[in-house]
Amino acid sequence: MALALLCAVPPAMALQPGDAPPALSAPRLDGSELALATRRGQVVYVDFWASWCAPCLQAMPALDALQDRYGAEGFTVIGVNVDTERAAAVKMLERVAVDFDIVLDPQGVWPQAFALPAMPSGYLLDRDGVVRFVKTGYRTRDLPLIEAAVQRELKRQPGG
Amino acid sequence: MKRTILGAVTVPLALACSACVTIEPVQPWQRGDLARAEMAFEPDPVQAAYRRHVEFSKEAASGGATLSGGGCGCN
Repeated sequence: MALALLCAVPPAMALQPGDAPPALSAPRLDGSELALATRRGQVVYVDFWASWCAPCLQAMPALDALQDRYGAEGFTVIGVNVDTERAAAVKMLERVAVDFDIVLDPQGVWPQAFALPAMPSGYLLDRDGVVRFVKTGYRTRDLPLIEAAVQRELKRQPGG
Repeated sequence: MKRTILGAVTVPLALACSACVTIEPVQPWQRGDLARAEMAFEPDPVQAAYRRHVEFSKEAASGGATLSGGGCGCN
């Protein structure tokens, strides 16, 4: 047993504040490609969600409202759907309509790159593309925490 | 004798290493299949309640599925 544990593949290190995610891109629902790098200069919240994840669905309208509130200041949300079936994502978006960009990642390339510790997880990237805040899980009471982090990053100057 | 001992150690070691490199835990984002209703221990709660009722009525076994006790009906 000990040998098996020694030989097992070690888990990847989850992205922490101060880390920068690799160059990633994924298709939107309409097929157009969204690359994370194109959002450089903006404060980006990368939200990982799936149709089977109830707290994810609770978080999405709240994040949409945050984008509405701070979008003009340079805040944007990218929702990364990790469902293996596109239909499940589409069906869920009919119930929970959001305005922010949704990309489909059935292969799990993005969550693997971020080494997601749980679902849902959200990563706030500053204008330089560096992770500044990580939110694992979601409850309604977490929203002020996320909002405070967004406000903080919007005030911070690039490279600062 | 030495060769036998060496074989007894290296063969299981090689087998263990070759087999266990495939051990990969289900990642948080891969749990969609596990979240499906048919993957639940009791996928149909109504049928499960009916089955428990039958167990209680015909076999005098109460609470065996969820409670402690030996199913004697006295708990």
